[in-house]
Amino acid sequence: MPGRPRPGPAFFFLLPALALILVFYVVPLILSVYIGFTPLRDWNLQRLGELSLDNYRRLYHLVLHDPDLRKVVQTTIVFTSVTLAVNVLGGLVLALAMFFMDEWLSLPYRLLWLLPRMTPVAVYSLLWYYFFLPGREGILNSWLMSLGLIDEPRAWGKDPELLPYSAWAILVLVNGFVGVSFGMIVFYSALKSIPREQVIAARIDGASTLQLARHVLIPQIRWHIVYVTVWQLLSLLTTFAHIFLLVEWGTLDRAWGSNWALYVFNTAFLTQDQGFAAAAATVLVAVGVVLGLLALRLMRFREMMVEPKGEL
Amino acid sequence: MVEVRLEGVSKRFGRVVAVDNVSIVFEDGRFTVLLGPSGSGKSTILYLVAGVYKPSSGRIFFGDRDVTNLPPKERNVGLVFQNYALYPHMTVYENIAFPLRLRGEDEAAIDRKVHEVARLLHIEELLDRRPGQLSGGQQQRVALARALVKEPDVLLLDEPLSNLDALLRLTIRGELKKLQQKLGITAIHVTHDQAEAMSMADKIVVIDRGRVQQEGPPLEVYERPRNLFVATFIGSPPANTLPATVEHRDGYPLIRVAGSLYRPGERHAAKIREAGLDRVVVAFRPEHARLAEHPPEGEDLAFEAEVYLVEPLGRENIVTLEAAGMPVKVVTPPEERPSGRLYVVVPRERVLLFEPETGLSLDHL
Ligand SMILES: Nc1ncnc2c1ncn2[C@@H]1O[C@H](COP(=O)(O)OP(=O)(O)OP(=O)(O)O)[C@@H](O)[C@H]1O
Ligand SMILES: [Mg+2]
Repeated sequence: MPGRPRPGPAFFFLLPALALILVFYVVPLILSVYIGFTPLRDWNLQRLGELSLDNYRRLYHLVLHDPDLRKVVQTTIVFTSVTLAVNVLGGLVLALAMFFMDEWLSLPYRLLWLLPRMTPVAVYSLLWYYFFLPGREGILNSWLMSLGLIDEPRAWGKDPELLPYSAWAILVLVNGFVGVSFGMIVFYSALKSIPREQVIAARIDGASTLQLARHVLIPQIRWHIVYVTVWQLLSLLTTFAHIFLLVEWGTLDRAWGSNWALYVFNTAFLTQDQGFAAAAATVLVAVGVVLGLLALRLMRFREMMVEPKGEL
Repeated sequence: MVEVRLEGVSKRFGRVVAVDNVSIVFEDGRFTVLLGPSGSGKSTILYLVAGVYKPSSGRIFFGDRDVTNLPPKERNVGLVFQNYALYPHMTVYENIAFPLRLRGEDEAAIDRKVHEVARLLHIEELLDRRPGQLSGGQQQRVALARALVKEPDVLLLDEPLSNLDALLRLTIRGELKKLQQKLGITAIHVTHDQAEAMSMADKIVVIDRGRVQQEGPPLEVYERPRNLFVATFIGSPPANTLPATVEHRDGYPLIRVAGSLYRPGERHAAKIREAGLDRVVVAFRPEHARLAEHPPEGEDLAFEAEVYLVEPLGRENIVTLEAAGMPVKVVTPPEERPSGRLYVVVPRERVLLFEPETGLSLDHL
């Protein structure tokens, strides 16, 4: 049995991060969990002492019976899982494609995919707003009409005939374009650190590009795939900035185009029902923790943790 | 097996010419060593043979088959890398089985072949381990097993011994050579270690700056270097080189080197006259010279020098002297401890003469 490392110096180096986490994460978390048990409304702090499970009862009831919240729940599930798959698999495919590209081609290609991430959220959302604009001026509408595929312009994110799929597709598209680049960068740099000789060896032994990817490359970046999956899962569960703008600007249907995180935000700051919003947020955090742990477990994270070499 | 032939092969990477119009015959069943300094293009030649790179110009043949445009997998070569390039996520067994699995052989045959080659290389007890759990020498054997398991026509070795410690290197050198002879496989071995090249090769090909400098049996390359590069690259310590001027006495060229006059033989004299040389480079191997108190009788090369440093190596001493401001190394028996001013004497048949502009040996002019 290797001896346990002494906590002294390690603790010292972790201290600043721990302090930050404490002030900006743990304290707000505790506060918001607490508020979830209070009837706080319109920031009326007088009722902070009355603790009850009312918010959770209400939430439970609404999830079962409120059609709008049920739509939000479905959207959250579909949006999170589909975008997660798109981001991780898309990132992997892009990274592999770049790995097999010549450097002069892969660099501009990488930059191109990073562009959406480098664009401010509002500007990026605005581009999509114009793209899906319901009138004839909408880019998508004008393209499709000039190609003769449609006769009348459509409201892509709101048209009852197309809902909920059109709203979901837009959500996945808008977030996917930003999301894939994260996996792409992580996977690409991981692939680049695999010795070139392994690739040459496999080629000489007759591996096709697909076999090379499947048997040599992907197994060696398993850890990175797990990391990106969990990271993306958690950030997709809590993302709402683009979605907020596109819903506010009328590109997306309010119910079919909202996820749980946006619902929490709107409840807290538009409906001014802070106690209820805090309860909903707490549920989201709990779901995130459970799903995150589950994902790590499914992907056998522990197996991949290595004992540090030598004394630390 | 198969003979490998390069005919006028060049390889350029952008503006870098890594291999420059190279023609080499790697004989069937022989052990050929590509020897050259770092960056000389050895690995590139190996990759060209393997098919990893396509030549910019020239052709490559395996026997009668033109393989210039064939992909690696249709060439049936085995390649062992300096860093072994084992797949870290696979066990030793899976590593060795991988080339066979890619060919779609059935599991029973794979199992038999993996065990067979593992027995040959004495790594049977390692089959369940992962590369990370092996020593350098063991990894090297696994890499060799992976290259041999597919029964290649050509075995390519890219400095496979350079990561091993000196003793292990000696052992594996011998084993590798024996194994190659036993299998009768055509082997191309890349190294920048001239001692390794001398001891293993049936034929040495010396490469510098992408060009073949000389090829031939080890002893011939050693004793009759074609140019100054080969003379000074091979040997430890390498050959001494001294710039010299030519003086004509009664129509016969004499060479003034380190203050002394040396009368070259008829053949060399003729070459000097023919080429109208007024300068040459005199070279000789440290172990071919001896030290003497007095100038010798006869016509051997002899010049005065001052002992500067004596390095005892146990089996021999390496004596560094200074002659007319230039360092000269001489190997002497261990009991000899020279000092002061002495004569360096080189037998006539051991004196090498080179043309100073091109560096070519007068014998090859
Ligand atoms: N893929 C490549 N792209 C660009 N230049 C290359 C490439 N491969 C090799 N070169 C260049 O070609 C020349 C020969 O390289 P090579 O790897 O064949 O040398 P080497 O003799 O194997 O050297 P070493 O002993 O250091 O391995 C070098 O100048 C190198 O920089
Ligand atoms: Mg090399």
